Amino acid sequence: MGSQKRIAKELAELVESPPEGIKVELANEADLYDWRVYLNGPENSPFHNGTFLVKLKFPNEYPFKPPAVNFATKIYHPNVTNDEKGSMCLGMLRPDEWKPSSRVVAVLQFARQLLAEPMPDDAVEGRIAEQYKNDRARYEEVARDWTRRYANEKA
Amino acid sequence: MSLSDVPFAHFLPYNHNHYFPDYHDLSAANSIYQDPTFHSPAPVLSHGGSSHFSASVKNRSAAKSSFNMNTLSTEEMERFQKLSNEFEPDVQGPLVSTKQSTQAIAMDYANADPTLATKTSTLALTHPTSRIMKGDGNCGWRAVAFGYFENLFALRDLVLIQNELVRIKSLSSLLDQVGHQDYLYEIFVDATEQVFTQLIQAIQDGVRDDSFLVDTFNVEYSSNAILTHFRLLTGAWMKLNPQRYQAFVPMPLNQYCATRIETVKSEIDEVGLQALIDGVIERSGFAVEILYLDRSRGDAVTPHLLTTNQASIETIRLLYRPGHYDLLYRPEPTVNMEPVVNYQYAMTSNYSPWDQGALSFDVNPTLMSIPNLMMDPAFAMGAPPMSPAPISPPAPSSPYRVSSPQEVYQAQIPTSPPPPPVQMPSPPAPRMSAPPPSGPPPPMSSLPNRSSDGPQIRLNPLVMKPNLSHSLPITTPFKNSPYNQAHFQNQDFEPIHWEPSDSRK
Repeated sequence: MGSQKRIAKELAELVESPPEGIKVELANEADLYDWRVYLNGPENSPFHNGTFLVKLKFPNEYPFKPPAVNFATKIYHPNVTNDEKGSMCLGMLRPDEWKPSSRVVAVLQFARQLLAEPMPDDAVEGRIAEQYKNDRARYEEVARDWTRRYANEKA
Repeated sequence: MSLSDVPFAHFLPYNHNHYFPDYHDLSAANSIYQDPTFHSPAPVLSHGGSSHFSASVKNRSAAKSSFNMNTLSTEEMERFQKLSNEFEPDVQGPLVSTKQSTQAIAMDYANADPTLATKTSTLALTHPTSRIMKGDGNCGWRAVAFGYFENLFALRDLVLIQNELVRIKSLSSLLDQVGHQDYLYEIFVDATEQVFTQLIQAIQDGVRDDSFLVDTFNVEYSSNAILTHFRLLTGAWMKLNPQRYQAFVPMPLNQYCATRIETVKSEIDEVGLQALIDGVIERSGFAVEILYLDRSRGDAVTPHLLTTNQASIETIRLLYRPGHYDLLYRPEPTVNMEPVVNYQYAMTSNYSPWDQGALSFDVNPTLMSIPNLMMDPAFAMGAPPMSPAPISPPAPSSPYRVSSPQEVYQAQIPTSPPPPPVQMPSPPAPRMSAPPPSGPPPPMSSLPNRSSDGPQIRLNPLVMKPNLSHSLPITTPFKNSPYNQAHFQNQDFEPIHWEPSDSRK
């Protein structure tokens, strides 16, 4: 199948020249469709100095459906569900906005950028979005605290 | 697809009356697929999204809607959001159907607006077969792509197919020019190339059945990959020719391509369709024609040619109903396989055996619906010249040639005899055997009485269809008629000159 060929090439590209703050590996050498991604919190964000484990799952229909992005590391963020799934689904990750010509590296850069600049209007955690908009200091304090406590993933 | 937000809409001749006021866009598709749940969520949540499907129920439209969301708890809102995010219409049917009778489309509109009913029943005559595309947001793209490959296969020209393969592959340079990387698009090109390989193989193997092509287009992966390839080429073509397209799209061209062309399921609009034809299809030499079914005046669908090539080698014909595209086919030119040419058939040039699916004559519904038109000598003189087909002269011993049983139309229901000619609402065709060669041709106004042993009336299947009885085809006059022009082709022919002195003899 073409999707396998394409995922393999994208993985090779990411391993060869990893973008800033992003490290990728296969969760299981035998399965190209299941990636583990380590995201370093961007400098200008309360997530700085934290390392977040993100699971990237490619559907069988890839690249005609977007990969699923889930934070395995607990994170205090308006666009990531605060549950065991930690799902993030907005912008280019939504099936109707997804383009088969999008690169995985763009997906990962988008996810990392979202840590620095949340999108409170597209929030999945309404309470955190409210706080982000109305009480930025308190939001950053909690986010920093969670980062210290949980974001210690070792790549 | 939202035509209303395309500012130039009224400039294009095919854009008038593009919405049925009392039919939802998808009502047509709805009735085809017999799925009453199909658009039930859409009218509530849709706020003019770019697509009928998931795009119309996205987060933002729900948030901006005028509902009082405050009365809903956060949990409820999240639940609704999840439902709307995951909503996928349950569209039934294959991605590309097999060829079917266009009557099915006419049936869908039988009880609809009279204009639509008239137009679709006319359509069933002019374009007796069609292919239904699944209404999943890709119908327009799929119709064009399938029509392209199908025509290539039908032409069975290996050189043309090889040239087209080279041409389509060379279009990858457009993709490179707009910054796509080959490792991202190569699998789409591979899928397209595979279809070309299949075509070549099938033709080399002497395969005539195109079901392999239908199968390929019904495999989700191949279908998606081919359409993505065509979408990417179209987007690249548009970006490289901004002067042609920018004025017609309501946003910067890059954004338009990213949100309307390069996505997976956004429907094609006029601009996208034109770009697809311009950039990908037209150089093949194929013409692309759209037949618009709407409630504009007239009793036939409105055709519009999207290509500029005058002498096209083939034409891809699309049926457009607002929000949906299908493929249409003209009657197939059938080869008359009958070894013995019936005298009457020979007289009427190239009529093939009656077959509901293959009417090889030009059915002009307007003319056919005029009673007695063909009886009018003036019209007959204007008719195309008789074919000088080998005509076996009637045996002089018998005034009437007796048709062999298989030449006589057999009624579908054996128990009921064919309806007597008097039941026909329009005058019956004078399809009788030739009169005795020696006798003078009977004037049209005094046809021989029909008795039980009289000349045979050849009934065609259309007679049995109550809806079509008004369009009973009528043959041109018989051989010895003064209206027969065949003798003009005889080089020894000399018209009779009337001399004033003759009358005194």
